[in-house]
Amino acid sequence: MKLFRRKQFESDMDAELRFHIDIYIEDLVRLGIDRGEAERRAGIEFGALEATKDECRQAWGLRRIDELRADLRLTLRTLGKNPGFAAVAILSLALGIGANTAIFGLVDAAMLRILPVSDPGGLVFVQNAGAQGVNGGPPYPCFELLRDKAKSFEGVAAFSASNMELVIDRGRELAQGVWVSGNFYQLLGVKPLIGRTLSGSDDQTPGKGGPDGAVAVISHAYWQRRFGGDTAVVGRTIRMFEHTVTIVGVMPPEFMSLEPGRPIDIAAPMMLSNPVMLRERGSWWLEVVARLKPGVRAEQARAESDAMFQAYMMDVTISPAIRKLAFDRIELAPAARGMDRLRRQFSKPLTALMILVCLVLLAASANVANLMLARAAARQREFAVRLAIGAGRGRLIRQTLTEALVLVGAGSALGIALAHEGETALAAFFAEGGNKIILDLSLNGRMLLFTLSVSVATGLAFGLLPALRAARVDPAAGLQLGSRSVAGSRPTLRLGRALVIMQVALSTVLLAGAGLFIRSLRQLESVDLGFTRQGILTMEVTPERELYGKPEWLRLQREILDRVGRMPGVRSASWSTMSPLGGRDRGVIVDVATFVPRTETDKDIHLVSVSPEYFETFGVPLLAGRAFTARDDRTAPKAAILNGTAAHFYFGDANPVGKKVRFARVPGDPVYEVVGVIKDVKHESLREPPPRFIYLPIPQSIDRINRLALAVRSSGDGMELAAPVRKEVQSARSTLLITNVSTMEKQVRLSLMRERLVSTLSMTFGALALVLAGIGLYGILAYAVTRRTNEIGIRMALGATKGGVVRSVLGEALALAGSGIAIGVPAALALGRVAKALLYGVQPFDVPAFGWTVLLLLVFAALAGIVPARRASRLDPMSSLRSE
Amino acid sequence: MENPVELLQGTLDMLILKAVSLGGLHGYGVLLRLQQLTGGQLQIQQGSLYPALYRLENKRLITSEWGESENKRKAKFYTLTAAGRKQLRAETDLWNRFSDLVAGVLGAIPEES
Repeated sequence: MKLFRRKQFESDMDAELRFHIDIYIEDLVRLGIDRGEAERRAGIEFGALEATKDECRQAWGLRRIDELRADLRLTLRTLGKNPGFAAVAILSLALGIGANTAIFGLVDAAMLRILPVSDPGGLVFVQNAGAQGVNGGPPYPCFELLRDKAKSFEGVAAFSASNMELVIDRGRELAQGVWVSGNFYQLLGVKPLIGRTLSGSDDQTPGKGGPDGAVAVISHAYWQRRFGGDTAVVGRTIRMFEHTVTIVGVMPPEFMSLEPGRPIDIAAPMMLSNPVMLRERGSWWLEVVARLKPGVRAEQARAESDAMFQAYMMDVTISPAIRKLAFDRIELAPAARGMDRLRRQFSKPLTALMILVCLVLLAASANVANLMLARAAARQREFAVRLAIGAGRGRLIRQTLTEALVLVGAGSALGIALAHEGETALAAFFAEGGNKIILDLSLNGRMLLFTLSVSVATGLAFGLLPALRAARVDPAAGLQLGSRSVAGSRPTLRLGRALVIMQVALSTVLLAGAGLFIRSLRQLESVDLGFTRQGILTMEVTPERELYGKPEWLRLQREILDRVGRMPGVRSASWSTMSPLGGRDRGVIVDVATFVPRTETDKDIHLVSVSPEYFETFGVPLLAGRAFTARDDRTAPKAAILNGTAAHFYFGDANPVGKKVRFARVPGDPVYEVVGVIKDVKHESLREPPPRFIYLPIPQSIDRINRLALAVRSSGDGMELAAPVRKEVQSARSTLLITNVSTMEKQVRLSLMRERLVSTLSMTFGALALVLAGIGLYGILAYAVTRRTNEIGIRMALGATKGGVVRSVLGEALALAGSGIAIGVPAALALGRVAKALLYGVQPFDVPAFGWTVLLLLVFAALAGIVPARRASRLDPMSSLRSE
Repeated sequence: MENPVELLQGTLDMLILKAVSLGGLHGYGVLLRLQQLTGGQLQIQQGSLYPALYRLENKRLITSEWGESENKRKAKFYTLTAAGRKQLRAETDLWNRFSDLVAGVLGAIPEES
């Protein structure tokens, strides 16, 4: 306020003092003194007017503001005079701060953000826990018990994400949905954007809903995307599975469900989901969230829920071993930040990135500190003069700090703009592919606060050093010496060198880190998948419910394979219940007569049902026995194929072909004969060795066949067949729902999303640090050459050759780089060991990664040295000797 | 008439507060009232009043308002704030104790041996 009322203050003060003097003169005149004498006496008795005014200003607290203004003006003027300096400093800071802001935004969105629900601190997840850790909530009947009987909770709600088959305007489509108990949104305190939200009464009768019939609410994003933001969507009816559902509301953009990052289109009451699942006492498919009553401690609530859970489990049939592993007891987890899938997935890579980005900022700050130091040194004469004519040392420190903060301010502003661009790219990175993650990376208060504190910290950190140094000037000495010799004060140069060495060390760490991550990614990309990835188009095909498990669906599958097989460019096509890296899984329990399981999990095996062409289409080599054929149909003897891991696990070195496996848990106790063994195929991720797999022919499967994955091998890259194959499938039956169209190459790429994120960003940071170190090296060398003008002149006059001069400057460049590398390599090694979990097929000490790093840095050092070296060699001995 | 007394360091603020406490005054009025109260025996550099007034106002011990003076000119009038009243009381108290102390010391009579 004082800043803006400045003019007012001055005129008021003038008027007040004027009034005093005037009225005193009048009083004197009234006493009989003549006017001229009165004015003279008034002036004397009042004292020096301007000095009084200045004391008033100071008393009013304006002096500091005046000085700040002067500092700012001077800063802007000096920066304007050195645009190169200002540009390099601001750009360095902008890159450092921008990168920090962007990565912090990611950390914030994926790990820190509290969900926009009312009183999030009172929410807990009610989860089953066992020796294997926690996994999901109890079955639906147990949830009902908790909801209706538990006294520790204000309310208990359940939810479960699921794909929803919809028919809108007669077209079948698939939406990302979530089944929620009717009280879900009310418990969380989330209000709808338009219409109404779901309520307990919507969730009363299985298959029906409530008094308003079957209802659902949709998300803001889906409303915009699918319905163009039309408010008439409220009241509209759509088909959802076998129900006719009325859309009753649109939820606000910031909240739909409790899984951060997972985009949900539509939410419907539990009662519309599968009635069998709702009844089953041993089906574990729910997530349960509850709000603690005020004053109830979490442990109290846990004990109560656990007691109810234990009582409930008395009449649930479950093997004791499995129970011990996963469903032993109830535990509560804070729910304020939602489910932790995203946090678990990204905590390690994001921590690594946050560390790297801090190193970048450190390198950028070192750069600016060095620039500031050089400038402070160059201005020592100016400072000496100012000190000599009476400026306080505090003023000089403040002046230098102001300059630093102005640079940081400009750097931050630009940095935030850069971060904004970066966030867009990062969000796109996450939103790719089938299991897209939608993160809200727009700037928020917390991010700005973060940036602000980072900026002020950097500003102070690198501003303080030159500032203190500037204030140490001895005015007498400073004035006596020529400007050039002052500029070369030794401590300044030593400090500058130390900063450059630190920059090189930081670059070493960043480049080596980038090298390790890139090499890991390369290793993963070239890992043996067990199948040939090129040219395979995949899509998921879902028939209507009426066809699930029916012979008609089987006939249709055959017809589609025939049609697709005849298409030009198609080499092979097949069906399977899931495709590698597709994100789906199915576990069953198998008994082998000759095998004695040591633990319950030894009987676990993953099941895929496939058509006979599957192994050929994916190019999976057969290790023993035979593949399936068209003769392995419903009526033929039951046949199974194992992957290498399963064959070895159950049969050791014996030939498994001809041996029997039994599915004891399946009605009818079916026994299958192993007819072949295939090579292991990567399934869940490229990092993990494939688990045990059993393959069954689709017609003989123990599972009811509904949705299937169609794979088509072409002679091209696969994607060119997407549209024609889709057309062919739909001309076989127009109501088939086609989703997740992709290629295996794309699936491989998507499964490496985290690795690509880390390696792309670490490469960017490495490059940044390299450039910063290059600038730093150049700066210090150019400065050293200026300082040594005299010395070089003397050397040349005494017969030193141009080559010798160039060598000495380049030698210094390489010495600086070498020192930095010597510090950086062990640091990089230490960090590499910490980040080992993120690496694959690469040791923390990876010779190529470190070799390239060292080479790159030395080349950059030489490049940075060349210009100053040439300038030094071109010095004219005579004029440089005279330059003093 | 005796020679005028020089102001003791640090007492001007207290005197201004006292002067203003007796009723709203402009700067010149403060000067007149102080001279009146001291019987014209206190030497104050007129200009030095103002930095003191500004300092007191900045500390929110007094507030100012533009008004009209006795001779119909625009003048800035100062009045005491609640904080100022408290401060004045505290300083008066302190001053009384201090002056008693000093008087006691200076008035000490040599002990008879």
